[in-house]
Amino acid sequence: MKASIRRTLAVAAIALFALPAMLAAQSGEIVLKWPCIWVGKDSKAPAIAEIVDSFNKANAGKIRVEVEPQPDYNAYEQKVRTSLAAGVAPGDIFTLKLNATTKEFYGSKYIMDLTKDFSGSWKASFDSGAVAQSTIDGKLKTLPFETAVLPIWYNMDAMRKAGVSAPPATMPELWTALDKLKASGIYPMSQMTGDTNAWTSMIWFSHFAVSFGGAKVWEKPFTDKAFVESAKLMQRIFKDYTTPDAVGAGAGVSGGHFLAGRTAIFSNGPWYAGRADLRATAFFPSVTIAAAPPAGSTKGVMISRLQANVAAGETKDKNRRAAIVSFLKYLTAPENISKLAQGSGAMFAVKSGYVPTDALQKQFYDIAAASKTTANDLEAALGSEATLEFAQQLGALVLGNITPEQFCALVEKKIDR
Amino acid sequence: MKKRRNPNALKIALFLAPVLVLFAAFFAYPFVFTIAASLTKWRGIGAMRFIGFGNFGKLLGDQTFRLAIRNNVVWALASGFVQVPLAVLVALILAREPRGWKVLRTVYFLPNVISTVALAMVWTAMYNPQYGALNGLRELLGLEARNWLGDPATALPAVILQGVLYIGYFMIIILAAAMNIPRELYEAAEIDGATTLQQEFRITLPMLRGSIVTAMTLAMAYGMRHFEATYLMTGGGPAYSTTTMGIDLFLKMDALRYSEASAAGVILIVLGTVVIVGIRRLLGRTDPMAEAGQ
Repeated sequence: MKASIRRTLAVAAIALFALPAMLAAQSGEIVLKWPCIWVGKDSKAPAIAEIVDSFNKANAGKIRVEVEPQPDYNAYEQKVRTSLAAGVAPGDIFTLKLNATTKEFYGSKYIMDLTKDFSGSWKASFDSGAVAQSTIDGKLKTLPFETAVLPIWYNMDAMRKAGVSAPPATMPELWTALDKLKASGIYPMSQMTGDTNAWTSMIWFSHFAVSFGGAKVWEKPFTDKAFVESAKLMQRIFKDYTTPDAVGAGAGVSGGHFLAGRTAIFSNGPWYAGRADLRATAFFPSVTIAAAPPAGSTKGVMISRLQANVAAGETKDKNRRAAIVSFLKYLTAPENISKLAQGSGAMFAVKSGYVPTDALQKQFYDIAAASKTTANDLEAALGSEATLEFAQQLGALVLGNITPEQFCALVEKKIDR
Repeated sequence: MKKRRNPNALKIALFLAPVLVLFAAFFAYPFVFTIAASLTKWRGIGAMRFIGFGNFGKLLGDQTFRLAIRNNVVWALASGFVQVPLAVLVALILAREPRGWKVLRTVYFLPNVISTVALAMVWTAMYNPQYGALNGLRELLGLEARNWLGDPATALPAVILQGVLYIGYFMIIILAAAMNIPRELYEAAEIDGATTLQQEFRITLPMLRGSIVTAMTLAMAYGMRHFEATYLMTGGGPAYSTTTMGIDLFLKMDALRYSEASAAGVILIVLGTVVIVGIRRLLGRTDPMAEAGQ
């Protein structure tokens, strides 16, 4: 290769990669990196792109937020974990699911402590319960952002066809509905034991456990009667009322059965309502959500979780810190939260005053408003290791290899109290 | 006597430097770090606290981890004593250069260039209790459908079966060696009246000993660190029936149990080394091919 060509290529490479950064540094512009999961086909992607764009325009020459697309959520979680373990923040802005395991991250000096910044009208715009959940040892190191209630979904077209006119409100009604669905030739429920959390079934189990043991059931030992009774119900459901592939099935299979109309009852959070493949189904207009029928004496408790909290990478640079806080305030401004809620169907920890017009989305807001109180699901309350044990041993339980008491004792062993 | 300095010492050092730097950065340092972390209590955040061999004791007392070791041993044995013999068999047939052998060689090797994810998805579909091809065959025979990956009794054999069927990589190693065996040996055997089977047992297999041991070592080492396909097909379930040390290690990191995951990594390395050394000691006598070349 001729020297002149090599020189030209080198200059082009510098221009392409180094110059923008050098220019930004010279101009004093602060560039904030945001490795972000809300990209690509994610239902929140368009609104996030719009919010970031408008922030960048409003702060042109001063602050620029650069989104680094991270469409694979599992890979993203690994990135957050390994970055923090390796001693670097995953980005200037990043998100995480705050639960019993990830609360360990609050011990990291690479995550910014937002406690002092979070005050006044900014603090007042957040749901106080979600803020309390996100405050650990008096510190707020992640902002509660996306929240979720996890109700039961019904394909009412299939239910009506089987002779069931409304979502069951009691356990006897549930068993009757399941028998009728089965008699009509459909698998009544989507269930699963696969993935690391047996998601769909974990939601059902959480409803049962909270109903048997109250909103603070997760503080009890897992060998408590509330959990044993819930395990018995799961055994019955798997034995008689779900698809043959439920043991070992992952969330994709479980959801796929519901979308294909092979099952009539399903469980998931509000983000599922924004799926194009759900909206394309013939039964979509009939989808109705409701709390699970109370299996025990506690009624009116909805299962919920903090689905995503926003965090920031620690910095000693005051200007950079101010830029990060400025963007976080912008991101969580009620008008932007409304935009996100409208576009995605998701629910948020910020009081935006948003009133949904979409029928299914409205049901989520109504059901959250109607519940007396909320309680965490198993994963949010007990963390990854206990949830993995739950998922793994659920297979053994429903196949009859272990008793409900043994199942609960095995999960109890993995709870880090 | 004064030693003479190698005049090429600087050049040798320069040529070795890149690989030594890479080796130090991506093997030596992580290896030492893993051993150090395995002796501590560390959740990935904050300082490590030295606890000696506590993590090893905890792991070896953990039923799930013991199950993972057992499953890895089963994987290693299946890889070494089922997959490699199958590869040898096919290689011996193809080495005779039957009609279309080049096409068959490509066909057998093809799965090795397909991603594990894609293959795992194909097999998951084949094992599907409702729509899978395997249950379709059972139905034709009047048998009941089974949830192959959802039943602890069948899940491990099912994932191992999909693994050991892909013989292409080892077949290529052995085929290459078989093609190098001097033709004169067969010609002499034919003159002496040896049958094809006798030629294979008395000439080919002894001459392939070195390649077969290499293939078995590689296969068993892979079996000891198996992760991808099982994780994708079953996640190690149901009830940990298909879990492996690699999966257990990965899930421990997921639960921020970095020090236990490191201890699992150390055990994995030690057991892998034991298997490799064991197989070389057991089968790795002098390679007749090497002798023939001398």
